Amino acid sequence: MKAKNISKIFWILVLVAIMAIPSIAFAQKRGGTLVMLVQPEPPNLAAYTTTSAPVGMVAAKVYDGLAEYNFDLKPVPSLAESWDISPDGKTITFKLRKGVQFHDGKPFTSADVKFTVFEVLKKYHPRGASTFRDVTAIDTPDPHTAIFRLQTPAPYLMMALSGYESPMVPKHLFENTDIRNHPNANKPIGTGPFKFVEWNRGQFVRLDRNANYWKKGQPYLDRVLVRFIPDSATRTAALEKGEAHFAGMGAIYYSDVRQLEKLPHISVTTKGYEMSSPIVELYFNTKKKPFDNQKVRQAISYAIERQVVIDNVWFGFGKPATGPINSNFAAFYTDKVKNYNVPNGIEIANKLLDEAGYPRGANGIRFEIVHDLTPYGEEWRRFGEYVQQVLERLGIKATLRYEDVATWLRRVFTTYDFDLSNNWIQNLADPVIGIHREYHSNSIRPGTVFVNCTRWSSPETDRLMDQATVEPNPAKRAALYHEFQKLVVEAAPVVWVHELKFSTVTHKTLKDAVVSPLGVFSNFDRAYFDK
Amino acid sequence: MGRKRFRYILRRAAQAVPVLLAIIILTFLLLKLAPGDAAEVLAGEAGSASPEYMAQLRQRFGLDKPTHIQLLAYMKNVLTLNLGFSFRHSMPVLELIMGRIGPTLLLMGTTFTLAIGFGILLGMLAATRVNTWRDSLISILSLVSYATPLFWVGLMLILVFSIRFGWFPTSGMENIAAFHEGWNRVFDIAHHLVLPAITLSLFYLAVYTRLMRASMLEQAGMDYVTTAKAKGLTERRITFKHILRNAVLPVVTMAGVQVGGLLGGSVVVESVFGWPGLGLLAFESLFARDLNLLLGIFAFSACLVVAINLSVDIIYTFLDPRIEVR
Repeated sequence: MKAKNISKIFWILVLVAIMAIPSIAFAQKRGGTLVMLVQPEPPNLAAYTTTSAPVGMVAAKVYDGLAEYNFDLKPVPSLAESWDISPDGKTITFKLRKGVQFHDGKPFTSADVKFTVFEVLKKYHPRGASTFRDVTAIDTPDPHTAIFRLQTPAPYLMMALSGYESPMVPKHLFENTDIRNHPNANKPIGTGPFKFVEWNRGQFVRLDRNANYWKKGQPYLDRVLVRFIPDSATRTAALEKGEAHFAGMGAIYYSDVRQLEKLPHISVTTKGYEMSSPIVELYFNTKKKPFDNQKVRQAISYAIERQVVIDNVWFGFGKPATGPINSNFAAFYTDKVKNYNVPNGIEIANKLLDEAGYPRGANGIRFEIVHDLTPYGEEWRRFGEYVQQVLERLGIKATLRYEDVATWLRRVFTTYDFDLSNNWIQNLADPVIGIHREYHSNSIRPGTVFVNCTRWSSPETDRLMDQATVEPNPAKRAALYHEFQKLVVEAAPVVWVHELKFSTVTHKTLKDAVVSPLGVFSNFDRAYFDK
Repeated sequence: MGRKRFRYILRRAAQAVPVLLAIIILTFLLLKLAPGDAAEVLAGEAGSASPEYMAQLRQRFGLDKPTHIQLLAYMKNVLTLNLGFSFRHSMPVLELIMGRIGPTLLLMGTTFTLAIGFGILLGMLAATRVNTWRDSLISILSLVSYATPLFWVGLMLILVFSIRFGWFPTSGMENIAAFHEGWNRVFDIAHHLVLPAITLSLFYLAVYTRLMRASMLEQAGMDYVTTAKAKGLTERRITFKHILRNAVLPVVTMAGVQVGGLLGGSVVVESVFGWPGLGLLAFESLFARDLNLLLGIFAFSACLVVAINLSVDIIYTFLDPRIEVR
């Protein structure tokens, strides 16, 4: 009897050991509900008609793209298993993954790719028209092959295929419908790791695990709940209390991040923003006195102390910027440009202003301007107050103006009724997508936001950008951008203050939530709780 | 009496129509005066947009048409009881408002019950022992709670009761990860309701306490109270039977005026506690220049205010039978 008991215990132990093996082999544990904070609440989830950040953060869990990206900013397979680019760069053949299903059970095929690009993204996506501009046709010889035909090589195209930037939508649901008013805008159906379940407006979006996801065994989480809490201090409290596990991209205010960082159950990372690469900038109105004068612009560029701004306004979340291209883009970036970040900046600036023909008046003032502040948060007011003080040391009297988003957008991008404004702009995945818009003469388009509002351009820089757009050879392309940076920095239509480091605050038990340069815009397919 | 009342209600309802139309036209024009439009805001949130995309948005929102045509189109919709479509949310306006009305009524109802109930009680306690320590304490407390900013009270309550003691959740209307059902869900929502309702009612509580106290003191000096005292009625009976009923009238009037404002929601409390109310929706749609939604909310709350003021007038006739409807 006793012996029998012992053998029973022995076998139970063996069984337990066997059962434990998978969890040792795969440290990722299944299950759990991830609560993510997104701010503000997105207006809808139509990621195929907008690039709005909150929309993308939620919708990217539902939609896949043809490719994902690794931290080297290289495309890696997603819905496309592999691709082949012809030597002349004019044909890209995507081999699509087999057995992929949309959340409604219908298969994903090359017809969906063709439809998405031509009928949805090219027509209704804010960046789609330029991303796929050179795609003239997509051949679909079989359901798992999509051949993109291009009129000119478009090296940037391969960088815009993520589920956030170019989500693949189901043709069978969108065909012959009004895509702009499609009910799918509020209940997305994609191929991604999480299925949309419900959206309780003002409170949360619920996404449940897609058991048929094409990555076997993934995702590990049962559910993702996206919560919307308008007040920044309450968001911090929710993370501190453990009611939420994940908050990225400015959802937690910089000073609060520094506080949360000290808690034992919270971790903070600045990784996962390599494909947005924001730069904090000051825009000059170069068509209006006094900033039509290059020397005046250079003077201001010299006067701003980058590190002071980073430390005091952004609580250390930044790195001094040298020019229009973020240093994340190792392939294109160069620091061999005019350096404005020098210790005796104020001195040089005062000299330049004298030379420019703006001497100090009897009251010590050279001229007066209005400084507009971008209405995207408190930090921009602080930054504006700092700039005001610096300008005062140069003998420039600046009045601050703070308006709401719509008013500010119209002032800066439509009526150009401004002298100097601060803002930040994302470099995005490739200079063609994220940088040309700010400096090319064909981007001076009143009424279109986040394009060339300084209205500065030059034939040389236009030519360099045009060449780089179609140059397939990476080394030659880099050389073109190096030359471009040199010219733009010399002309100083913008003060490049710093490369903003967004942070992502997570609960320590949550692992592998930030696994790509798209960070908060990736899909949590590998995220798991290690309890 | 019943027929008279019914005719009165009908007449008041008819009078409300021009008021509502005026509200709609005024808000429409005011919003048109604000620079920027919904297309710019949407594109601004997107971070980038081509001119073709912007033109497409404007055409779709009807923003490419002249203002008076837009107004006429909207009026036509409203008169057919169609509040229109929010292009920003890709949803009918009515559906968006209906989604928020439940939580708004819950928060506002609780707040009002707390504020009026405790306001009347505290005001009475203060007035019956005027110029004693009890009166001073109540007056000071109400002054402090009136003067403290709501967001600060809210954040302090969160810090103390959710983070420090862990008694209440920080925000939201229910524990969405728990999927409670039936009574569990009711308790869960009530649990989430405590802090926001306390925060919001503190402010109104102060107003009603002070109003009630003043009104009680005023009534106490009236001739009929002297008469009642001469008749030999007890202090308690005079207070409850005579003074209280008359003193409550100004409080009801005030509440009737304020309930309209409260139905519009409280942006501050809703945003601090992440409560999905109407106020926040209106606030967001203003900044997004979501004209249809904003007008819908205004029209909707205007209707409610008219309806509530009407019922307050009816309530008067019950409180004080000398008041007649005409």
